[in-house]
Amino acid sequence: MTKSRIGSLFFLAFSIIYLYQSYNIHLLPGSHYEAMTAKTFPHYLGIFGIITSSIIFILSFIKASDDDLLDWENLKTFDFKKGFYFVLAMILYGFTIRTLGFIIATIIFLILGFKILETKSWKTILLTSFGVSIVFWFLLTQVLGIYIEQGLIFDYLIGAQS
Amino acid sequence: MMEGIYEGVTTALTTYNIMMVAIGCFAGTFIGMLPGLGPISAIALMIPITYGMEPSSGLILIAGVYYGAIFGGSTSSILINAPGVAGTVATSFDGYPMAKQGFAGKALAIAAYSSFTGGTIAAVFLLFAAPALAKVSLSFQSSDYFALMVLGLTAVAAFAGKGKFLKAAIMTIFGLMLATVGTDADSGVSRYTFGNLDLIDGISFLLLAMAAFALSEALMNVIENKKMSKEEKDALNKDIGNLKVTKEEFKEMAPVVGRSSVLGFFVGVLPGAGATIASFLAYGMERSIANAKDKLKFGKGSIKGLAAPESANNAACSGSFVPLLTLGIPGSGTTAVILGALISYGIQPGPTMYTEQPALFWSVIISMYIGNIVLLVLNLPLIPYIAKLLAMPKQLLTPLVIFFSLIGVYLVTFNTFDIYMMVGFALVAVGLRLIDYPMAPMILGFILGGMMENNLRRALTISDGELNFLWERPITATILAITILMLISPLISQFLSGRIKKG
Repeated sequence: MTKSRIGSLFFLAFSIIYLYQSYNIHLLPGSHYEAMTAKTFPHYLGIFGIITSSIIFILSFIKASDDDLLDWENLKTFDFKKGFYFVLAMILYGFTIRTLGFIIATIIFLILGFKILETKSWKTILLTSFGVSIVFWFLLTQVLGIYIEQGLIFDYLIGAQS
Repeated sequence: MMEGIYEGVTTALTTYNIMMVAIGCFAGTFIGMLPGLGPISAIALMIPITYGMEPSSGLILIAGVYYGAIFGGSTSSILINAPGVAGTVATSFDGYPMAKQGFAGKALAIAAYSSFTGGTIAAVFLLFAAPALAKVSLSFQSSDYFALMVLGLTAVAAFAGKGKFLKAAIMTIFGLMLATVGTDADSGVSRYTFGNLDLIDGISFLLLAMAAFALSEALMNVIENKKMSKEEKDALNKDIGNLKVTKEEFKEMAPVVGRSSVLGFFVGVLPGAGATIASFLAYGMERSIANAKDKLKFGKGSIKGLAAPESANNAACSGSFVPLLTLGIPGSGTTAVILGALISYGIQPGPTMYTEQPALFWSVIISMYIGNIVLLVLNLPLIPYIAKLLAMPKQLLTPLVIFFSLIGVYLVTFNTFDIYMMVGFALVAVGLRLIDYPMAPMILGFILGGMMENNLRRALTISDGELNFLWERPITATILAITILMLISPLISQFLSGRIKKG
């Protein structure tokens, strides 16, 4: 399987769905008299997308270079598990930043990040995660004057910020 | 014009703005040195910080980051043969062998002097070229702009590299498609929002740039799991040696730097070309015109081989600001991100920027020059210390880069949906990186998408829905003819080379 072919299939599917969805754009009454409606550009983009990805797909059979072949041996050396854990950590960060507040959520995220990447020293992990979170929070709120919510859990425990 | 320059100088030379250039150069140098993180990531990471600033200060900081990132890329190319930026790959050809011979300090100094001269020559060119082009472009109409955008997007695909034209083209279309998400600016109709209120305003350019570059590059670092080799660690810990460049070496460099700077500037002005192509072209040009004795030195630590790409890539950076500032059309992924930042400040670059906001227009040009001075006077002597930061373990750096990317986007909207969307886009970007689909054309398409649609709409409305606007105006027709030429040129060259082989 060549890299071009994999990509072309992804874009072909995306372009078909994109074109199909362009028909679901609801136009305002009378807009049919306009030279260009909200549908026109997406419609042509969808068509161009389908044509270009189809050409890539066809060409991947006609002239496939060695560079274009998916290197399974190289892929096997990749640590996708770590990447997956990082994605989970990022999603968790999204969940916690409003509930636990910036500082706690950031500390948790950084600790998880450092652990996923196998940082051994707990001293380094704690110092960096606490240090970065608190210094960054201080910079944002006290120096740059950016308002950051204290977190829903604190609203619940000590009352909402005025 | 003189009044504008004066205003620009006074804006750029305020203590605050000089500080911004210096901070930008330092931050850019550091981020640019990290393998994998290029100027686009560096700029994207800095944009949230600039939101609270005056547009001129924000843009000055960004220009500093751009220069710094290119310089930082050169540093890692020379010291550990790991270019952080594609524009400095050619630097490693002779810079790294020089460092291996024990002249790392000299190589860094040559790179810095060449960059400085390249930047200076280009800044002077920019001083004249930008207003001239801005004046010409005042007569441009929507059809011309539409044609220019088509040319810009085609050029990015055409210059993407051998065998990558179609991949870059589909990525551009992908970017254009993503730009249509949200409320249509003209009719107010929702498109591709699927009833989700978070998508009504469309996808933020910062979110997309951050996800496609900084975040996906950091994730690639995680999955590639590359550890710094012992050789690289040793190179960083080794004394870089004397930074002094002799008079003879300066003499040897001078004509090379002059030629490469001029070449770099003009290549930078071309849409889609940019620093990478400029540096390779300059390297190739110098090698081909060198005498037999000098030619043998190329690839083994030649001063000319190092000076040429370094001056060309810096000159190209300045050159790429010409179409951005005068036409409002970015010619590369990096300038596309800068355009996105400008739009979010409420500024629409283009010919009117030159006439209506001369202070901003000129302050950016002047600050580029100041950025060059900062790089030479402050960064060069500090390089031995900044380079030590490269030895900082990746296990600590990567989570921090991911954190800054996420929080940079979150702090703009305070909407957690943006974090999830970013993660989604980053995953797609990682997938596309693994199969060699370039990211820069996507961001360029995304940034130009809205403008392209608006100009097409205006042109079609003026021509009463007819397509004759494409050939009725000579400017539009000429630009489109160049675009077509660019599209078919690979076929022509293939055909010609085939005939030569047969003959």
